[in-house]
Amino acid sequence: MRRVLLGVWLVWAATFVGSAQPGFEWNLPRGFPSPRVPADNPMTSAKVDLGRHLFYDTRLSANQQQSCASCHDQTRAFTDGRERAVGSTGEVHPRNSMSLVNVAYAGALTWGNPTLRRLEDQALVPMFGDHPIELGLSRPGTQLLERLETDGRYRSMFAAAFPETPKPFSIDNVTKALASFERSIISARSPYDRYHTSRDNDAISPAARRGEVLFFSQPFSCFRCHNGFMMAGATDFDGRQATAEGGIEFHNTGLYNLPGLLSYPAPNTGIYETTKRPEDVGRFKAPTLRNIAVTGPYMHDGSIATLDGVLDHYAAGGRTIGDGPYRGVGHDNPNKSPSVRGFALTAEQRADFLAFLSSLTDNELLRDPRFSNPWIAH
Amino acid sequence: MTVPARCVVRQIAISVSTLILAASLHASQQAAAPAPAQDATLSVAGDVAHPLTITTADLKGMPRTTVTITDQGREVKYSGVLVGEVLARAGAALGRDLSGPAVSTYVLASAKDGYQAVFSLAELDPAFTSNEIIIADSVDGQPLFEYQGPFRLVAPHDKRGARSVRMLQRLEVVRLKK
Repeated sequence: MRRVLLGVWLVWAATFVGSAQPGFEWNLPRGFPSPRVPADNPMTSAKVDLGRHLFYDTRLSANQQQSCASCHDQTRAFTDGRERAVGSTGEVHPRNSMSLVNVAYAGALTWGNPTLRRLEDQALVPMFGDHPIELGLSRPGTQLLERLETDGRYRSMFAAAFPETPKPFSIDNVTKALASFERSIISARSPYDRYHTSRDNDAISPAARRGEVLFFSQPFSCFRCHNGFMMAGATDFDGRQATAEGGIEFHNTGLYNLPGLLSYPAPNTGIYETTKRPEDVGRFKAPTLRNIAVTGPYMHDGSIATLDGVLDHYAAGGRTIGDGPYRGVGHDNPNKSPSVRGFALTAEQRADFLAFLSSLTDNELLRDPRFSNPWIAH
Repeated sequence: MTVPARCVVRQIAISVSTLILAASLHASQQAAAPAPAQDATLSVAGDVAHPLTITTADLKGMPRTTVTITDQGREVKYSGVLVGEVLARAGAALGRDLSGPAVSTYVLASAKDGYQAVFSLAELDPAFTSNEIIIADSVDGQPLFEYQGPFRLVAPHDKRGARSVRMLQRLEVVRLKK
């Protein structure tokens, strides 16, 4: 009897092991908690690999001119260097491309939509959105799936990534793979990280260390919006999901002050676009400051070219625009965050701030082959 | 100041919601001018019998307490001295003396940049509560970073970190009713 049971167990175990997918090793550094991953899309190496191929594949745009990477360039910490993104048909997006670095921890994914909380859902926006057109695909995505299915490499990769699915080619699986790759993009090897996690005092300059103190100081209060290991707004991780009541915040920094209800130029009105609450006009996400030195231009609409300019904006407690259709004194925006009070900034403090912000650049990430274009030989 | 020979290390494992400390030990406080200040001192003043000025070396020689908090999903150990221990050395009314009108006494904690937080004297008295609020001088066995120290209050049971005053410079005992 024992032999029979053992035999049954061995058959079951062999079947299970045979169908099991290899997991995914995060290799997280000290201080980085395990990311929060949706239960219906666990991380696997096969999915991450598939997602990476899809991310860099121009077949994901209707006219095959753009991929996700067109607006999320690894060498720019997955931003694009433009003021505002440009879609595959040439349409200019209202907003600046957001970095995908450490997006696995992001409590809110986009500049001004508090309801988009899953990368799987967010991927549908550039794929199928028509306002603006980004990748320009039309629903239900049959055209895309047919393109992918004709490629033998994808037939292998989809089968490996979704072995439990008889027909693995689906839009749902495309977004799951893309989300898995995006979650894998962890940035934690900046000089600042070495200073903090390895206690290597020489990893960053004295100026950068002074800049850190300024960053966390009352007159500047940068940490109030850019906090935690992400130096960003709401942060999710395994065991914790930020909520509107606890963690997720959007801020009006006084970038504009137009007369009337819409003090920010439409369609960039912040979360007001979703909530329709007047007090939400101009409230945007505080992005991560990791790699900020390589992700310019800055702000939700890329309207500030340099970090120097960003410091000027916050030092003034809001931007004043003297001429043109956006003329106004941002300092006086009625919805402005109380944290944006303005401050005096000496030349030395400015240099210290910039040194600190530069210490957040993870140069290894910018050229890490795990996140590079798999379709070209390196 | 005189430092007693006894040295007690207590370890307390405290689980605090992560929500808390994300904003917490950073977001709650406001530091000031950039200076290492490892030679900085902490003054204990106000309604105490023996006002004190404490150095980092003084604190190292006092009975030590370690508290463990959860900061953004990971455990962090802060070590230092119970505030109550320091207040006792300054002659604050603690234990049996902390009764009647004295219960309205509070302690104003001030940072180098002027940031302030208030504690009732009772919540700092080990005979009164088990709050284990400490003056920390190290984190995970290392000195505090420049933006944190050299002294920092850590209130491990607080749900937010707003009273975990960084760059702590002064504790002032204020007795409202004398």
